[in-house]
Amino acid sequence: MRERWLILPGVGFLLFFFGYPFLTLLQESLTSSGHLSFVHYMRALSSPLDLEAWRNTILFALGSTLLAVLGGIFIAYWVAQLPLALKRVILSLFAIPVSLSGLVVAFGFIVLLGRNGILNQILADLGLPPLNLFSWAGLISVFPFYNIPLFSLTLAPLIEQKVGELMEAARASGARPLQAWRYVLLPSLLPGILAGASIVFAGMMGAFGTTLALTGLNKNLLSIQIYALVSNFELSKASALGVILVLTTGFGLYLLTRIERRQA
Amino acid sequence: MAFILFLAYLLLPMLAPVVYSFSRVWTGLLPQGFTFAWYHRVLTDPAYVPAARLSLTIAALAVLINVLVGVPTAYASYTWRGRLGPAFRRLMQVLPLVVPPIILAPGFLIAFNRPPFALSGSFWLVVFGHTALGFPFFLRTVYAGLSGIDVTLLNEAAQVSGARLLARLRYVLVPNLLPSILSGSLVVFAISMGEFEITSLLAGFGTITLPLLLFQSLREDFRVASAVASLLLYTTLVALLGLSLLRRR
Repeated sequence: MRERWLILPGVGFLLFFFGYPFLTLLQESLTSSGHLSFVHYMRALSSPLDLEAWRNTILFALGSTLLAVLGGIFIAYWVAQLPLALKRVILSLFAIPVSLSGLVVAFGFIVLLGRNGILNQILADLGLPPLNLFSWAGLISVFPFYNIPLFSLTLAPLIEQKVGELMEAARASGARPLQAWRYVLLPSLLPGILAGASIVFAGMMGAFGTTLALTGLNKNLLSIQIYALVSNFELSKASALGVILVLTTGFGLYLLTRIERRQA
Repeated sequence: MAFILFLAYLLLPMLAPVVYSFSRVWTGLLPQGFTFAWYHRVLTDPAYVPAARLSLTIAALAVLINVLVGVPTAYASYTWRGRLGPAFRRLMQVLPLVVPPIILAPGFLIAFNRPPFALSGSFWLVVFGHTALGFPFFLRTVYAGLSGIDVTLLNEAAQVSGARLLARLRYVLVPNLLPSILSGSLVVFAISMGEFEITSLLAGFGTITLPLLLFQSLREDFRVASAVASLLLYTTLVALLGLSLLRRR
């Protein structure tokens, strides 16, 4: 095609808005008073606070991904069995959280589960302990709001195609529901599950909008640390933590593709 | 049953700001009284009106740049034969995963505060930030649109009848892609209107957008915050409603 040059604005855009800033970030993280230096990385990797942030980030992302996968498979399975019109409505509903402002979500959850939140009042009336929205448990219970719809949307096309044919075949050959799930449906859904898990995991490694709106700078996560450092204009250290975050996310995604390859 | 509970879990946090914003008081279990007072206060507030105008300007510019850059890019990389085309599309899928938005803030602040690309003032920094955040979403939507039409066939037909590149873009490609260009634009618009986390780092003190004010009033004035949060929610809903109407056609 002679029109290949049309890609030039896009390539320029990527270089200018992703490539160049990332290179300057890398350079900044490796520079100390004008010289090549690993001091920002050494400091980050020897500071208990930063190491804790790193660990918290990985645990938080893994936990959230696990929740999203467990919940998302069942939700996607349910949605796949709905009549077409209802399915459309539900899938459009699932598209809302992705482009909804983290502030709106935070506000909604504060009204429901904040100190005087309605759900917490109901829990108190029932004699149950309240859920503290501003704790780790609170954060873990907010993020499925984003992650389960996101995961279900990723899995939806595949599960749509597999559920009908496979489950019928499995039942016809005498498999019990649990066996059909374990040996037939789940293995055939694996590529979709891993793709969804990758998207959720990568998103959660960097997630911080809603966290920031709910708990400010109180929770020690890499993203929150970077935010605090950038607000104080400590860009070198922020850059080093940013590179660590990118490398960790990349490594996690790499491991997920390894699982897929081994199964194939 | 579990499915109904999950739907409630999705819908209640979205309904809560709306109910809150129309209620006079809400301290007990149920809200009391109906009022437009909080919306009225937002619409007459000397800080919120310029902030809303600024947010709209930034969102419109982010959409404009995305359309100008994204449509030719999507088209060229989609029709590119050989390995490079698919590789480029794959890169666009992976890029937003590996490079989280938080990285954009320090990256932009370092890259665009020094020569050769010093952007004085934070306005364009915010515009470019929102443009970059929306770009992968925009491309994804246009790719989906391209896969729905037979680009090669349309192109050949137009070429045979003597249409040059510009004419083909203008009369063949863009009209056929219009629904997906519009829905991509709506997504970029919605993301830009609600973005506060990266914006707060890039904006400094000069560029106060609507979500940045909301971020402040989340601590100070919960009432006004509920109205602003609802307004942002309506923006997203209108954008997505438009999107699903476009899909149906």
